[in-house]
Amino acid sequence: MNGERPPTVDLRELRKRFAGLEVLRGVSLQAAEGEVISILGSSGSGKSTLLRCINMLEIPDAGTVTVAGETVRLVPSRNGARQPADRRQVDRIRARIGVVFQSFNLWSHMTVLENVIEAPVHVQKRPRAECIAEAQELLAKVGIADKRDHYPAHLSGGQQQRAAIARALAMHPAVMLFDEPTSALDPELVGEVLRVMRALAEEGRTMLVVTHEMGFARDVSSRVVFLHRGVVEEEGPPDIVFGAARSERFRQFAGR
Amino acid sequence: MNLPFIFETLERLIAGIPLTLELATLSVAAGGCIGLCIALMRLSGRWPLVAFAWLYVQLMRSTPLLVLLFLIYYGLGQFAAVRNGPLWPVLREPYWCALIALSFNSAAYAAEIIRGGLLSVGHKEREAALACGMSRLLYMRRIMLPLAIRQALPAYGNEAIAMVKATSLASLVTLMEITGIAASIASETYRPIGAFVAAGALYLAITFLLTRAVKAMEYRLTRHLRPPPTAPAPYPSGASA
Amino acid sequence: MAEPGFLGVVGFGSQGWGAVLLSGAVVTLAAALCGLGLGALIGAFGAWAKLSGGRLLQGLAETYTTVLRGVPDLLVIYLLYFGSSSVLTSVAGLFGQEGYFALPGFVAGTIAIGIISGAQSTEVFRGAFRAVSPGEIEAARACGMPPFLRFRRIIAPLTLRHALPGMGNVWLGLLKESSLLSATGVAELMRQAQVAAGSTRMPFDFYIAAAILYIVLAMGSGLLVEAGERHYSRGVRRT
Repeated sequence: MNGERPPTVDLRELRKRFAGLEVLRGVSLQAAEGEVISILGSSGSGKSTLLRCINMLEIPDAGTVTVAGETVRLVPSRNGARQPADRRQVDRIRARIGVVFQSFNLWSHMTVLENVIEAPVHVQKRPRAECIAEAQELLAKVGIADKRDHYPAHLSGGQQQRAAIARALAMHPAVMLFDEPTSALDPELVGEVLRVMRALAEEGRTMLVVTHEMGFARDVSSRVVFLHRGVVEEEGPPDIVFGAARSERFRQFAGR
Repeated sequence: MNLPFIFETLERLIAGIPLTLELATLSVAAGGCIGLCIALMRLSGRWPLVAFAWLYVQLMRSTPLLVLLFLIYYGLGQFAAVRNGPLWPVLREPYWCALIALSFNSAAYAAEIIRGGLLSVGHKEREAALACGMSRLLYMRRIMLPLAIRQALPAYGNEAIAMVKATSLASLVTLMEITGIAASIASETYRPIGAFVAAGALYLAITFLLTRAVKAMEYRLTRHLRPPPTAPAPYPSGASA
Repeated sequence: MAEPGFLGVVGFGSQGWGAVLLSGAVVTLAAALCGLGLGALIGAFGAWAKLSGGRLLQGLAETYTTVLRGVPDLLVIYLLYFGSSSVLTSVAGLFGQEGYFALPGFVAGTIAIGIISGAQSTEVFRGAFRAVSPGEIEAARACGMPPFLRFRRIIAPLTLRHALPGMGNVWLGLLKESSLLSATGVAELMRQAQVAAGSTRMPFDFYIAAAILYIVLAMGSGLLVEAGERHYSRGVRRT
């Protein structure tokens, strides 16, 4: 890894507890610019929680989160947990992170086009005409240009997820987070979404992907991270991890 | 039942429409604002506010509107402090007493409808908004409220109709809206059936128009739930559409 | 004379109007119960008309519910009270009887609120019947039950179970509608409070007392309805 530029995402010693169960037990992860990191693990391993700590949808109990050089300031809150010191800093950092959710989470009362331009126009305050033009390009790029005036309810799952990817791209993010992007899709629709994600990876985007798609993890990512019970069990380039992993648990997990 | 009598009756009754509509509109609007506050109190999570909001709704829904109306119009005048107070010019007027009673009553029902609407917005759409960097205020303005309004509209339309009917109680504190005029016609002419049937027809016309207006608004706001207008164009590369 | 406090004036002492208020509450309950009975009958018939009547019956039922949904309760009460006396007096005139004939206020009033709640009950029963799973009715038909037995043993009980919450709301509405009968002189709770208020010049105390009694009636009814719902839902798995 080059030492001149700071990592785009820098997570140090994250800990998170949910109602007595410690889900993250000291996880550290750095993602340099242009890296594609696949995060694997069985359910309960903490992988989704880890992703959600990056944009503060979950607040870690301990540890630091730094995105594009800015560290999120956290202060202790009433019940012993922590809360952001400055809501506006969190909003600003979130605007630099593009998120693609498992259940797409498109806004049902807006058309696809309106969904894509919502954040650029109202959060980033860019001129509307410019946002619309760019949105049309993005929708064409993910392959649903003809759906731009349709409502989410009229699209298939694969089309909705591609719309969600376009929405995330429209914010010009420094890093993109994918939280099990294909888990809610019918098998025959998974391919179209993975194709789009592969294209993004080949462009050089920084991506962190929580996924069960081993093929994607092996062929597209630059690094694979295996979480087990809140700790990083295995980490490294895909050919090493999939070929000669040290962890017995990972070999069992990947062998499935 | 002769025609001149019917026309004359209708003419006199129509003069009561402005007051009926004024009372209904203002009390729905005021009730909506108060109801919004109550709903937010109920959803705030802080127990004194939640308890107050719950109690307010329970009490308002268990007592007849007439009791509230008389309590304000007749009851408040019992106290010298009120009679000599600064609000007395307002509180002795039947118009304002009726408006206050109608508004506070409507607020309880509005609060439940609004609360239902706000709760219906799923957490998924909220998470997507937060993930984009939207502040809570922006999220509420652009995402939560539009979706909540679409959910609450049918029930709120019913509440508006109920308010139009409730304005008839104002006749019991001397206000001359439609029912008040009908009652005085009935007692003057000893022809109650004609007067009350005509009044009923007027109310039906108003509620009919109101129902149509609400349905039209519902139609406009729920484009996202209807099937697309045209068949989708086939995607050039032949992938599944 | 010493100023009686709130409890003194609504209580049962020498200056207390407590007994009067309670008698008003009893009349309120009676009126609401009669209204409920009449309304339930109308509602059952109306629901049947809407669900399986011919075009004419359906149209009539639809007109009935639409009209009553758009007209104020007070107007219906006035119409029945003053209208009935007008009709009766004319009819009596035809038979050569002079003078003023009228239905007692209580009777005209309960018929009025019965008709009003009948429209609501129609919708409640209609919805309740549609909520009954058709499989259970089919099973009854399949084991050869004749229609009336089917209705008595299967359809009616199942419909009633689904109708309870809605009818609970209709009942609460009736309690409040009964207060409007005071406008035609019926001696229910609101009217008694009015009389007491006028006599003692303490309207605030008496309307508060009336409100408290209405709240007690409403909450008591709520508890009964909940108990009824629990009883009739035995055997239903909570989703």
